[in-house]
Amino acid sequence: MSEKENNSSFIIPNSAFWSSVWAIVWKDLQIEKHTRQIVSVMIMFSLVTVIMFNFALEANLAAAREVATGLLWATILLAGTLGLNRSLAIERENQTMEAILMAPINRSAIYLGKVISTTVFVLILEAILVFIFIIFFNKPYWRPQVILVLFLGTIGYIAAGVLVTSMTIQTRTREVLLPVLLLPLSLPLVLPAATIVSSYMFPQLPELAEIQTPLSLVLVYDLLMLAVGFLTYHYVVES
Amino acid sequence: MIQIKGLVKNYGMNHVLRGVDLHVRPGEFVTLVGSNGAGKTTLLRIVATLQQATAGQVTIGGWLLPQHASRVREHIGLVSHQALLYGDLTAAENLTFFARLYRLENQQERVATALKTVGLLARQRDAVSTFSRGMVQRLTIARATLHEPDVLLLDEPYTGLDQDAARLLDDLLRRESANGRTILMITHDLTHGLNLCDRVAILNRGKIVAEVDSAHTNPAEFLELYTEHTRRREKRRKRPVSGSGSSE
Repeated sequence: MSEKENNSSFIIPNSAFWSSVWAIVWKDLQIEKHTRQIVSVMIMFSLVTVIMFNFALEANLAAAREVATGLLWATILLAGTLGLNRSLAIERENQTMEAILMAPINRSAIYLGKVISTTVFVLILEAILVFIFIIFFNKPYWRPQVILVLFLGTIGYIAAGVLVTSMTIQTRTREVLLPVLLLPLSLPLVLPAATIVSSYMFPQLPELAEIQTPLSLVLVYDLLMLAVGFLTYHYVVES
Repeated sequence: MIQIKGLVKNYGMNHVLRGVDLHVRPGEFVTLVGSNGAGKTTLLRIVATLQQATAGQVTIGGWLLPQHASRVREHIGLVSHQALLYGDLTAAENLTFFARLYRLENQQERVATALKTVGLLARQRDAVSTFSRGMVQRLTIARATLHEPDVLLLDEPYTGLDQDAARLLDDLLRRESANGRTILMITHDLTHGLNLCDRVAILNRGKIVAEVDSAHTNPAEFLELYTEHTRRREKRRKRPVSGSGSSE
């Protein structure tokens, strides 16, 4: 046997690591291109949720506009669990995760690849949701600051979600277990993120100092979850 | 190439492997036969770096497992009764994905060559979910050998195959063996087990109970040997437990 480069125990990502990450992302995007089963399911679920909510609060438009930001985040979180479940279920069917695990790649690359591809799917959903919310609730969700916070919130949520889904996907009660574990875990992220988005819904934009604390919480959550996932995914998929 | 010494695997109080010793030489084709629950799949999964042993030693090409699992992975390929392929991707996309994971050079060329070798080049743009069981199994072999591993591990590869598909698989395995690949196959199909390989080992209740050179053993003799070993063990298992606790 020849001694090729061994990168599976490296923590510092090198070109081989990013090549593995891209392979996972490319594969997930190809599957979605053929099936469209992740994004379409999330969009359908979100549309139904928003329409039902809109009917429920039809009599009180002011109240609907008041809670719109909360509804936006709740819809993203719930639709996100569907996307996460499907994204990891693909690897459970036909046990393809075993074929991936047999490849000489860093397990963190699998994690990062899954985070990136699932984030792409949820960002597509968010683009559509933002458009719908602007029409339904007539609020300025188009502001770049709002888009940035949605993006940062999505990264943290998916970073935590891929880790939790990878743990629950082998259980029989995975559909129930995922939201039960993930939604409470997402609270420290969603509360400050929703606070920031709400503060940009008024004509008077907030000063940076006003959103500094919630923004720091969102960034810390993102970094913490990515680091935990990066460092522990090896144990999650191999145990 | 594959050296297994005193391999033990327990799942709690369930002792699946009870000290397996097996040596597979470079280029050799060894078949491991045994009844259901003998520990065949567990043994193969440990060699494939997908599980860790409770005790004992496994080395592949001189690399000790699980310490050097990442190095070993570059040199092994696994064909299982599960396809380990994405049904929603085409045959070419599946192989391209694994070529990327193994960071192979000339990926498109290698994918095309692999598909041609298993006779699926014409179906390269079709989704794997539209393939027959035999075609899926041929693509599985292409996936497992794409990175030209030194060791090919086969876990019940004939499961669900009709006669024609099984014959095609035979031809592919003979070709891989002729190419000098070390092959370890587990099966409960005694005919295929004996016909293709250089050596057959019988695994029963977590131990290798017999090894025969397939060139010097006819199917009838082998069946007799297999029945003798497995029946003896079954009798021991079925013997009622006495109050004194003595066993043999």
